[in-house]
Formats: sequence, structure tokens, C-alpha cells
Amino acid sequence: MATESDSSRELTFEIFRFNPLDPGSEPRMQTYTLREEPYMTLFRALNRIREEQDPGLQFDFACRSAVCGSCGMMINGRPTLACKTLTSDLASTIRLHPLPAFKLIGDLSVDTGTWFREMGSRVEAWVHERQAFDPEAIEEPMDDDLAVAIYESDRCIECGCCVASCGVANTRGDFLAPAGMNRVARFMMDPRDGRSTGDWFEVVASDEGVFGCIGLMACQDVCPKELPLLEVYGYLRRRALGAAFVRKQR
Amino acid sequence: MDKIETTDVLVIGGGLAGERCAMEAAALGQRVTILSLVPPRRSHSCAAQGGMQAALGNCVKAAGDSTDLHFLDTVRGSDWGADQEVARIFADNAPVAVRELAHFGVPWTRVRPGRNVYHIKGQQVAIDEPAEKAGLIMHRDFGGTAKWRACYAAAGTGHAALYAIDGEVLRLGIEVRDRAEALALIHADGRCHGAVTRCLRTGQVGVILAKATVIATGGFGRIYGRYTTNATINEGTGAAIALATGVVPLGNMEAVQFHPTGLWPSGILVTEGCRGDGGYLLNREMERFMVELEPAKQELASRDVVSRHMMGQIRDGKGVDHPGGPHLWLDLRHLGEEHLTTKLREVYEICRDFLGIKPWEELIPVRPTQHYSMGGVRVNKDGEAYGMRGLYAAGEAACWDMHGFNRLGGNSLAETLVAGRIVGARVAEFAADHQIEADTGLALAFLQETELTIDAWLARTGQGPNVYDIRDAMGEIMMGKVGIFRQGDELQAAVNELRALHDSLDQAVLRCREPGANPELSFALRLKGMLRLALVAAMGALAREESRGAHSRIDFPARDDRNCLSRTLVRWGHSEDEPMFSYEPVGLLDLPPGDRGYGKASHVDMELSIEQYNDSVLTRQQEQGRLATQEPMGASLREGAWHDAEARAGLTGT
Amino acid sequence: MARSPYISSAAEAVDRQSVRGRADATWPAESRRQVIYELISGLSGLALALFMWGHMFFVASILLGTRGFDWLAEALEVTYIAQPTVVIIFALFVIHAALAARKIPAQLRERRRFAHLAKELRDSERQWRNIGPDGVLKPHVESWLWIWQVRTGMIMLVLGSFHLVLIGLDIFTTLFGDRAGIEAATSMARTAGGLVWVYGVLLLCVEFHAGIGLYRLAIKWGAGARLSRTALWRVEKFLFWFFLGLGLVVLLVLAEIIPPPLGFILGS
Ligand SMILES: Cc1cc2nc3c(=O)[nH]c(=O)nc-3n(C[C@H](O)[C@H](O)[C@H](O)COP(=O)(O)OP(=O)(O)OC[C@H]3O[C@@H](n4cnc5c(N)ncnc54)[C@H](O)[C@@H]3O)c2cc1C
Ligand code: HEM
Ligand code: HEM
Ligand code: SF4
Ligand code: F3S
Ligand code: FES
Repeated sequence: MATESDSSRELTFEIFRFNPLDPGSEPRMQTYTLREEPYMTLFRALNRIREEQDPGLQFDFACRSAVCGSCGMMINGRPTLACKTLTSDLASTIRLHPLPAFKLIGDLSVDTGTWFREMGSRVEAWVHERQAFDPEAIEEPMDDDLAVAIYESDRCIECGCCVASCGVANTRGDFLAPAGMNRVARFMMDPRDGRSTGDWFEVVASDEGVFGCIGLMACQDVCPKELPLLEVYGYLRRRALGAAFVRKQR
Repeated sequence: MDKIETTDVLVIGGGLAGERCAMEAAALGQRVTILSLVPPRRSHSCAAQGGMQAALGNCVKAAGDSTDLHFLDTVRGSDWGADQEVARIFADNAPVAVRELAHFGVPWTRVRPGRNVYHIKGQQVAIDEPAEKAGLIMHRDFGGTAKWRACYAAAGTGHAALYAIDGEVLRLGIEVRDRAEALALIHADGRCHGAVTRCLRTGQVGVILAKATVIATGGFGRIYGRYTTNATINEGTGAAIALATGVVPLGNMEAVQFHPTGLWPSGILVTEGCRGDGGYLLNREMERFMVELEPAKQELASRDVVSRHMMGQIRDGKGVDHPGGPHLWLDLRHLGEEHLTTKLREVYEICRDFLGIKPWEELIPVRPTQHYSMGGVRVNKDGEAYGMRGLYAAGEAACWDMHGFNRLGGNSLAETLVAGRIVGARVAEFAADHQIEADTGLALAFLQETELTIDAWLARTGQGPNVYDIRDAMGEIMMGKVGIFRQGDELQAAVNELRALHDSLDQAVLRCREPGANPELSFALRLKGMLRLALVAAMGALAREESRGAHSRIDFPARDDRNCLSRTLVRWGHSEDEPMFSYEPVGLLDLPPGDRGYGKASHVDMELSIEQYNDSVLTRQQEQGRLATQEPMGASLREGAWHDAEARAGLTGT
Repeated sequence: MARSPYISSAAEAVDRQSVRGRADATWPAESRRQVIYELISGLSGLALALFMWGHMFFVASILLGTRGFDWLAEALEVTYIAQPTVVIIFALFVIHAALAARKIPAQLRERRRFAHLAKELRDSERQWRNIGPDGVLKPHVESWLWIWQVRTGMIMLVLGSFHLVLIGLDIFTTLFGDRAGIEAATSMARTAGGLVWVYGVLLLCVEFHAGIGLYRLAIKWGAGARLSRTALWRVEKFLFWFFLGLGLVVLLVLAEIIPPPLGFILGS
């Protein structure tokens, strides 16, 4: 228990600064120092820097409990959630950059929201029903194992860390990227979704989809929610292959 | 002028309530625009993990459950502060809302047939689930209900629900503007015409005119500063802009729910389960103070009692020092690694991720924190605000009022969806019958007022207090004096101090003048509203001289149904310095006030008979601005239907 | 269940809008082509990798001495296995290279960005104090390894083609040695005469590239679900070191630096 603040470390923050709306602003790294506190997360540290040292510093937090996906950033070279990153897990120099692969809003803030919304429309991330909802009827039964499997994929919080970590997503704007493929798999395995496998192929079985993935596995390594992404790709590839042959006979 | 845009329905807030409402209106043919501070999926609804109450009665421990029982639990839980007709509408519709979510794709946890081992109050209990219920939606025990009733999707109920609803919003092609904030409502003569907005990407202000406007901005826990489980975006701007109209009242702002174990310094919720399973609370001297103070129940005493003693310890200087403020310890070490990594896995993960400790080796820093706001924009059962046509509210931001003075766990997620459906339909009807009625002049006048406020902030220079210091001071006052246990003198002091803070805002100076959204300016623009919410909550608490639900007055420990079976309403006139308080009956009474069955039991009986009380409800509420509803008052209440419900369900009681 | 009149019916309207005319969606030709490309690039890689193991055992016959080598070479030639293999492998080599190269970012700027990211991820380990099973974070080097996969592929394209041309000439013409075919004497002569460095580089590239390639192939098609990544990684490391070691010994023999260690078996 490190409750003694005098024995605490002096942290140096090197933070990427750039305000695209300010004609006078140039991309640069700015340095701040802060004394480490017990249980200090980057949520607390960044807020203290903004409130005490640099009121213009831009970054995003909402839930500050690793459930909303707002606060992804590059922390010492690694994309992850700032709110659940303890300074005690980091070397005393902490380098912060905005997530690559997304549009920069300013400093550490990027527009993951727009990216994910476009992705959602592109893969039509909703259940395509075949039947109307009947408010009188009881729910359709579903095997709990299947519910658990769907939930596993549904857990993605759209933080964008996987997208930022993926070399392909960083170099190809049209790549569906890990989170997108996960979203597709989530609906593909849901029996309530009426889409047939063939309906998916434009989206999935292409260089923009799962065949664009070259198995770098950075996504899997950085996902703060530890989603089973590699299993998702295997699943999608096998489904694509299966469908390529089944489809012929129809 | 592209600064003025139009839409049919403007929904302020992209959480569950806002999006479900938007969906309904869009499905009924209205053009809908949603505004949200963050991408909708990042709204705080995603944080709800526990579950969503709906009486489906699917598993063995839920057998015999009914909407009647849900109604009873809700009204009792509210300490009779709820509008019972709304509670009835809610309980009846909750099952539909849950099943509809299944239809939209929520992967609800399902009943597993055969032997299941549940962990009930620290014990392993084996129960056989019958095969005919296999695969139906499962329930868990949550929030002190008669039956297991909370439906859940593993550990992410709110997340799964929000993603499913947002998927539907995408499907319906509803326009969503994220990083957009409503700063003021445009209104004239008791009619709302839309809102002044500000883009949090660029800082640009504009106007959206609408036939109908919905406030679904969630809770306002951040008026308690850091002492809250709520997200940083739960700053109550929705309630604040409604208050700023001067016409629309807020209801029951003093009704605030707290949670004893918020993680320190972040405030993240640590589940009740760890005390249930045998966790201890310790102060800085490593004493188990609960043993001494509550010898009978110790740490298992009710939430409010535990919270009170914790606050007492901190006040007596027995808290552990931390640069962010003192805290106490939660000791789970004796539970062991095995138990903590399996049965209390979520607690273990929180400790690992946010403290960097192993809870079987080290102590956990905790503090009581604010958790839920029962109060909000006062609306009728159609969701339409008092005194303002075309303005609606739903979800935590509203005081629809099914929670009264205490919300049951799991009832709020259900509320967002039930209210969203119902209010959405009413909004759509309203929009279908009306035109955009505001002229450009009115819109520009409101826009200009906002611009002037912004300019004033940017123009003020020199030495003045800093907005974040004001916020911190507000948080300290609220948690220290308008917290879990309240007392007249402290509340009076809080009111005085908050008023001084409110006045000091005019001298506050910004240090950041960069172009763009400017985080400091964005916050400053909310601060006045937050201070006003804090002030009316403190004043409301001071005026309510009784203890009801979460509002506990040490100096008035009994519930006073004779004088206080009422809802607090508060308005703040446009150019007034003082808010104005008034009271209305809680609504028609079906279940007569009685014992809650838990917590403190003492109360002062009503003087009036139920009939006498009920007779006056409509007129007295209309006097307070209640607008006519689509159906007459009481139409949804099934009087006396609760009577046999408990007997039928095999529960003893009234 | 008793119903409140407040239960709305708009959900019906919602659903009507949702049923979309998707049933007759046609299988897009473009996507099918992509499936086939992906299959060919993966399968050609797999075939090449398997061939290289066979090839390794073939050249390893030199460990038995020149007689063993010559005997095997002749056996493969008189049965007409060697000649078509050369052609097929050459074709696979080119096809694989062409298809795999599609994945390489076209622009220099993109390649730089890729490399920068891969390096950041590789080095991040040093600036994090808590990487490990309990600190959740795992070190990440695979992106960096992919860059080397491309680099080794490029090297192979040059050196491998050169080697294949050489071998082709050897098998189909009488330019080298006494007859149209592979002979230990000519092989050793040219290796010792300077090609040892070329082969050394080629060997390292092949083993690295094929090892990582197979590992990636397994991950991509979902073997990672059954066998854990750590297990796969261990298998790949074993194969890499095994074939690299074997290849080096062979190379030393070919270059006449050491005598064939198993020569005594055939008594040469
Ligand atoms: C930690 C935690 C756990 C909980 N667990 C449970 C549980 O298990 N079960 C349960 O039933 N309830 C639970 N609750 C309560 C429940 O989550 C909330 O009451 C509910 O989600 C509120 O939903 P909402 O749609 O009203 O508001 P929110 O989801 O908070 O959404 C508010 C929306 O309004 C937007 N907004 C706010 N102000 C503005 C503005 N000025 N302009 C534009 N947009 C604005 C925000 O961006 C956001 O999109 C929990 C709450 C917390 C804090
Ligand atoms: C001619 C030069 C070569 C080049 C330029 C080349 C290039 C590449 C590239 C860029 C990849 C990655 C493709 C992807 O991830 O989708 C790759 C994959 C692979 N390569 Fe090669 N390669 C060459 C030769 C070889 C050889 C000789 C072998 C066999 C030993 C081989 C075996 C593999 C394997 C097994 C894969 C994995 C295939 C996959 O992941 O789909 N390659 N190659
Ligand atoms: C059918 C095709 C091939 C044949 C018949 C063949 C044959 C040979 C022969 C005879 C040798 C001995 C040295 C020599 O004679 O020069 C050799 C060595 C070698 N070949 Fe090939 N080769 C083939 C394809 C390849 C390919 C595609 C590669 C890799 C891209 C490759 C890599 C090597 C290496 C690295 C050595 C050195 C041996 C070692 O040190 O282990 N060969 N090959
Ligand atoms: S898959 Fe993981 S890393 Fe990617 S967006 Fe979802 S939660 Fe974030
Ligand atoms: S990092 Fe990218 S390349 Fe594939 S395995 Fe992950 S999506
Ligand atoms: S702030 Fe929500 S995930 Fe970090």
C-alpha cells in the first residue's frame, strides 16, 4: 500500500498537442509533470493536468470505468483505455498520442463515434427480422450457450483500440477492421437475424472484409475487453468458404 | 441561414430513454434528430450491469411473479412517493419492453434446464429448473424484490440493451448528432420550439427548431462532484435547461439515492455483494466500526445505515488520507483468492484494473457516493412537461414519477424503455398534429442570448475563481451536507454556501481561449445550471421536514403522510434570484401508505381518507401545470388488483 | 397478462419497414474472386512451405555423402519427379509472390505508417511495467514479424529465382556437370565457390518466412481457437530452429567446410 505521497514518483507526461481548428497550432509534443498518487489512473492524471496546468487540453472520458469506450489512446506506444490504465503500471515517462486510424478532433481526442456509426450502417448492425414483434407473445426460447456466445461478441465497447493497432486498418481506409468483423460475426451467429450467409458476402468476403486481415493479431493483443477476435476471423473465413460452394448449387 | 435547422422531433439525449423514444416517433413517421454529448453508445446507460426488472416469472425463484407484485414492490420501494398510476403502467409494460429487446437482439441470459447451483446470500443453493422453461429469459435477485425479477445479459445488461436499441436507430435512419449539446430550450407562451445547440467538435452554436422536443439527458450525479457513480457526462444539463425556462418545474430534486461502496478515488460502483458475502469495513485505525455501531446487523445493515456510519467515520477524522480526499477500507482479504476470482469476479477485476491490487492481499479504498437521481423534469403520464406544450421528458432526466423517493435497483433501465415507447408514441401524435410554430426572430433571440453568454465568459479577464474549483466546492457541500443523512442546520449552511458559489460564478475567469470546442468553456457553460440544480436540491431537502425513502432527515426521522405525502416542485423564473417551491399530491393512491417492510418503520398517518386525497389530485396537479393527457387520469390504474397478488404468489404480508 | 392501454402498437410499424428484399441477393462475382485469391495465396504458401521441408530432406541426403545425394537426385530424375516439380514450384513461387504482394501497402507513406506502428507496439513493452497475465497486457511483436515476412519474401524473390534458374539449367541442360541433372559434385563446387552466402541468406529467409507464414495461416483459419496461440507459437519456434539447424549443417557440408557426418553409412 503506497499511501505515502512523499515517496511517490514524479511523473513526466509527454502529450501530443494539435488543435486543427487553430490556424496557429502545429503538431507537437508537450511535457507536463505531476506527482503520482496512490491508485492514480490516467483519468485522474489527465483531468488534473487539464484543471491545474493546461485548460485547453482535449481528451475524452465518460464512464471512467472501462465500459463506454470513450477514452482509447496510445499510451506508451500501445492503444488502450486511459481510464483503466494505472500510472503505476507505466514507466515514469508517459507518452500519450491520439489513436491513429481515426480522424483527429484535437490533442488526444479522436472521432471514433463517426467511424463506428459508418461501420454500423455498412454492415447493417441490427437484427433483420422476418417476423413482426408480438407484444402479447412470450419470448422465443434460446439456448443459453448460444446467448452466451452472442454476448461474447456483443461485449465490444467500440473503443477503437483494435482498429488503431491494426496495420491494415491504418493503411486502408475501407478495411472493415477488427471491430467491424466482430460486429458482422455477432449478427451472423444470431439465429434471430434473417440474413442468409450469401447476404453477407459483399461485406465480408473481400479485401475490405476478412480477407483483408493478414493475421497481425495486434487487435487481439490490445483489445481491453479481451474479445475472442481471432476466433471471430476463423469463423468468418470458414463461413465464407462454405458459402462459396454451397451457394453455387442454388 | 444555416444556423437554423428544423426537424419534426428533437430528442436531447442518446441514452436508452432518448433512443427508444426516437425510435417510436420515427416508426410512426416523424423525422427525428437525436442530440448527444457523446456517441449514443457511450451514454451512461451502457454502465448498468445488474439488470432490468420485468415480471416474467420464468425461473423457479421467480415463479408466481406478476405485474401486480412488481407494482407493489415499486410503490413500497418509493415509500409511497410514486405516482401509482405510472407505477402501474410501468409494471404492466416492463415485460413487453424486455421481450421487445429480445426481438431487437439482446442476448438475454436464458434459463438452463436441470440442476443449477446459485449463489444466494453467500450460500450455494441447488435448484432444478423445469424443462418447459428452458431457454426463456432468466432472472436474478436484484434490488430487494419479492421475487427474482431482474432480467440480465451476463454482466452487461445496459450495454447490450443500448447497442440493440442503437442498432434500431441506425436501421430507421434516424439522424444522430453526437458531440452536440443542447444549451437552452426555445420557448414562448408555454410552447417549446426546439433548442439552441453547440457542437462540441467545433464550438459552433446553432438552433434546431422542432414540433416537439424531448429531454432524455439522464441523471445529474455530477452535482455531487467526484462523489458519484455516474459518468462525467451526467451533469444534469437537461434538467437545468428545463429549469431555465422558468415555466417548467422540476420534481423531487431532493430525492437522491446513494451507494455505500463507491471505489475511491474514481467513484466506480462496487457491488453490494461483497458485503453480503462477508466483507468488512475498516477505518484508518483498522477498526471494524460497524460491529460497534450496529452490533446486530453489522456490515449487512441497510444501504443508508451503512452509508451514514461511513460518513460519520470520515467526519470524525477516521478516514484514510488520500490526495483526492479521505476514504475508508473494504476488507475482503479473508474471502480468499478462489472466492474472489469466481463469485466476486467483477470486484476482482475492478480492483485489478482501477487499483492495481489483489483484493485477497490488500484493502480496497471505498466511500459512499451518489448513485441515482429520482427527481427531474416533472411530466404527466404522457411524458409531457408541466406547463410547456411540446416539451417531453423521459428516463432518469424525468420525474415521470414511478420511483418516488427511492428507486428499486433494476427499475431504471426498465423505465427508460417503457417510458421511451410510451412517450415516443405521444410525441409522434403531438408532432403529427402540429407545425413548427416558431419564427426566425424567436430562434435568433434565443441564439443570441446563448452567444452573449459565451462571449461574456470569453471576455472576462483578470483574477477570479476557476470553474473547476467552484465545481469541487459544490461537490464537497453536496456530499457533506446534502448527502445521505440530512439535518436542518447543515442543509441551511449548504444552501448559503451554494448560493455564495452561485454568485461567485459571475467573477469566475476562464484560462483557455483556444478556438474550437474549448473544454473549459464547455464546462463553464454547464456550471451555472449545475449549481442551480444543487441549490434547489438542497432547498427542497431543507423544506421537506420528514424522512421518506432516500431522503433521511435526522431531525425528522418519521415519514409524515399527514403533511408531506406530496411531490416537491420547483421553478426558477427567468429573471428571478430565487427559485419558487410548491407541492402537489403524489398522484392517485391505490395501495394505501403503509410499511415498506424494510428500513425505518415509523410514520405519521394521513389525515384524509384515500378517497378524499384522490378526489383532489387532478385539480391540484392541474393547478401546478399538469397538461391534459391522452387518457383521463386513473384510466390505467387497476384499483385493488394488487390485493390478492401476494396471496396468490404465496407470499405472506398485507 | 393484463394489458395497459398504453402498450403501443408502433413496434408493428417498425417491423414492417424492416423486412427488406434481401432474399434474392445474388452472390457477387467479385467476392467469389476474392475467396479464390485468398485460397490460392494461402494454399500456395502452404504448398511452398511443405515443399521446402521436402526439399530440406532432399538436400540433406548430402549428409550421407555425395553418393547418397547423387542416388536420390537420379532417382527423382529418372522417375520424372524432379523435372515437373521445378516447373510447378517456379509457378507456385511466382503466383504466391504475386498474390501475397497485394497485401503490401502500395504507398511508401502507408508502409512507413505501418512500420512505425509495428515498432511502437514492439517497443511498448519496455515502457509498461506491468505486462503479463495479470496485468492483462501482452507484448505484441507479430506486426513487426509481418514486416519481416515481407522483407524475407522480397529477398527470396530475388535469390530464390536465381537459384531456381540455376537448378532449372542444371536439370534440363548440360551446362553444368556431366549430364542434364543434379549432381553432388557440381552442387558442392558452386556452393563452395561462393554461393554459400547466397544459400545461407536464402535458408534463413525461408525458415523464418515459412515458419511465421504457417503460424499465421493456422491463426487466420481459426486453429487459434482450438490450439492456443502460445501453443502454436511454440510449435512454430521448434520447426524454425529444427530446419534452420539442419539446413546449416547441410550448407556446411555442401560448402565442403565439414565432411558429410553420416557418410560412413554408405561408406564413402
Ligand atoms: C454505475 C451504474 C449502474 C447502474 N446499474 C443499473 C442497473 O443495473 N439496473 C438499472 O435498472 N439501472 C441501473 N442504473 C441506472 C440506469 O443506468 C440509468 O438510470 C439509465 O441508464 C438512464 O438512462 P437515460 O437514457 O435516462 O440516460 P443516459 O443513458 O444517462 O443518457 C443521457 C444522454 O443524454 C445526453 N445528454 C445529456 N445532456 C445533454 C445535452 N445537454 N445535450 C445533448 N445531449 C445530452 C448524453 O450524451 C446521453 O446520451 C445504473 C446507474 C449507474 C450509474
Ligand atoms: C517469392 C517470394 C515470396 C514472397 C514475396 C512472399 C510474400 C509473402 C507475403 C507478403 C505473405 C503474407 C501474405 C498474407 O499475410 O496474406 C506471405 C505469406 C506466406 N508465405 Fe510467402 N512469399 C514468398 C515466398 C514464399 C515461400 C518460398 C514460401 C514457402 C516456404 C512461402 C510461404 C508462405 C506462407 C506459408 C504464407 C502464409 C500464407 C497466408 O497467411 O495466407 N512464401 N508470403
Ligand atoms: C524444385 C525446385 C528446387 C530444386 C530442385 C532445388 C534443388 C536444390 C539443390 C540441388 C540444392 C543444392 C545446392 C545447389 O545445387 O546449388 C539446393 C539448395 C538450396 N535450395 Fe533449392 N531447389 C529448389 C527450390 C528451392 C526454393 C524454391 C528455395 C527457396 C526459396 C530453395 C532454397 C534452397 C536453399 C536455401 C538451399 C541451400 C541448402 C541448405 O543450406 O539447406 N530451393 N536446392
Ligand atoms: S473489439 Fe475490443 S478493442 Fe476493438 S473496439 Fe471492441 S472492445 Fe475495443
Ligand atoms: S490486427 Fe489487423 S490484420 Fe487482422 S488479426 Fe487483427 S485485424
Ligand atoms: S471513459 Fe469509458 S471506457 Fe474509459
